[in-house]
Amino acid sequence: MLKEILFRNKTNFQFVFATIGALIGLTALCLSFQLMLDVQSFHSGEEDLFGPNSVVIQKKVTKLSSLGMNSTDFSDEEVEELRNKEFITDVAPFESADFRVAISEVEGDGLPPFYADMFFQSIPDRFLDLDVDWDWNEESEYIPIVLPRDFIMIINYGIAQSQGFNQISEELMLAARLTIHIKGKDGNTKMIGRVVGFSQKISSILVPKSFLDHANEKYGSGNKIQPNRIFITTVDDSYGELEELMDDMNLDIAKSAIDVAKIKTIIGVVIGIFGIAAVLIMLLSLMGFVQYSQLVLSKASYEIQTLLRLGYSIKMIVKTFIKQMAITFGIITISAISIMILIKLLIVDVWLDDNGIQLESSSLIPAILLAILCFGIFVGANFLNVKKTVRKLGE
Amino acid sequence: MTIEFNNVLPFPLQEYPHGPESVWKNTFKIDFPKKVVLNASSGKGKSTFVNTIYGIRQDFEGTVKLDNADISNFTLDEWIELRRTKLSIIFQDLQLFPELTVMQNLQLKNELTNHREESRLIEMLELLGIGDKQNQLCKNLSLGQQQRVAIIRSLLQPFELLLMDEPFSHLDDNNAKIALDLIAKETELNNGGFILTTLGGYHGFDYEQELNL
Repeated sequence: MLKEILFRNKTNFQFVFATIGALIGLTALCLSFQLMLDVQSFHSGEEDLFGPNSVVIQKKVTKLSSLGMNSTDFSDEEVEELRNKEFITDVAPFESADFRVAISEVEGDGLPPFYADMFFQSIPDRFLDLDVDWDWNEESEYIPIVLPRDFIMIINYGIAQSQGFNQISEELMLAARLTIHIKGKDGNTKMIGRVVGFSQKISSILVPKSFLDHANEKYGSGNKIQPNRIFITTVDDSYGELEELMDDMNLDIAKSAIDVAKIKTIIGVVIGIFGIAAVLIMLLSLMGFVQYSQLVLSKASYEIQTLLRLGYSIKMIVKTFIKQMAITFGIITISAISIMILIKLLIVDVWLDDNGIQLESSSLIPAILLAILCFGIFVGANFLNVKKTVRKLGE
Repeated sequence: MTIEFNNVLPFPLQEYPHGPESVWKNTFKIDFPKKVVLNASSGKGKSTFVNTIYGIRQDFEGTVKLDNADISNFTLDEWIELRRTKLSIIFQDLQLFPELTVMQNLQLKNELTNHREESRLIEMLELLGIGDKQNQLCKNLSLGQQQRVAIIRSLLQPFELLLMDEPFSHLDDNNAKIALDLIAKETELNNGGFILTTLGGYHGFDYEQELNL
């Protein structure tokens, strides 16, 4: 009966307006938050550390370089300069082998006979984009090797055809052992290696750093080798600075990495603007609801005063009022979460996929928690407002 | 319950002269249960007196004490608690809910206090001659009928003091007598007392103390 008394004079126009505003605002807020999380997880997920935010840089090879007059090595000063750039958060030079390497098949392991000169490089483990067994010590059975994925393509669709040997499947490549021929300062030695994975992103032949350090010490000439390729990790939205750095240092960076970084920045900005607009809509609708409750309360002021005079407590009146508001906000919140999930799955994800942007979907729980937090703020703000107004009417 | 007035004078009545018998600017104490009548002509402050004791008006100088506690220190929550358990009232302007039916108006109070069975509500309505009106909206009743609803509503709670502000002004003598009998009976059941304000008609009221303005 209390509900009937208190809401007798409600104004539907304000209510509908505030409800639609809250629904749109909350849906937009949750959606932008969810997309922001998706993009964020793309930025910082461990498996994606060497994502568009981590790029390999090297100096462009020029005519002078070809003549040996212009080195593509990075000096210690240049590495230090990179470390000091504010938009660069991590710098890791590639280490190269200080000895000559060649590989050949291990007889009986299924690979055709071959012998090829090679090179080894290593990178800090944190930059490796594969989840493979990458430990090596002197007791290890074999040396783990990671090849670029393009390497197997070149063999199968180029070398195999021209040299007349059978194509090699990825499985066979991973199962077969390789003989590693090392030619160092103290003569030659052979070791066993095994391909443990193929990297999409690193166009180098990688071995564990622990092996390379050991081998360089044992077989190397002792000369210090300056790095010619460096991993850098940049902060988000810094493609502008990166392009500037490329010009300054005459660098060569995979264009795709820059493009993806650019797309990410644009997506981030768009989602950010969308999110700010959503917060503004939410604030407006919150004000709408506060005004709506003020209006309903002022229209029910006679009823509220009389109820208080009959012995109804402020708590009972506020509870009746807030219960109705909470049901409304609850329906808005559940609807907003449902619409947000539908939009994300049926429109945004499909659009991103169609446009070749692969975003790992992160958990929906934070966005749902955000919606519940908004529900709490709405109920809390209205509770305080209603309580204050009812008390004022009673006094 | 004890009510104590010490030199109380409502601000709007400061300009008017008050005699030595008046409750205003005087000191007196009433111990309830007791049946008290406050007889005065219009505009002397009868409603002000009732509403001051009920905590609705706080615009006065002096001190009013309920059970030795200064009412100016009561919080709204304390007043509400008193209005549910110790103080009941029939407002001069009735303060019913016009959009609710007679029965809903009574239930609204009775559901709060859980004081009487619904069958008793119907009995009281019939006793006061409005048994057939229980499903009618209050706004469609005559003032006399509304007054009887307000009287019954005031009895649907425990009380030590019932304040009645001209409760029979729209009732004929016969109906006023029936209502007064019902009030007297319920007051006795509650072991309480009442203050009745009137413009002069005593309706056969057997009072123990008279106050003047």
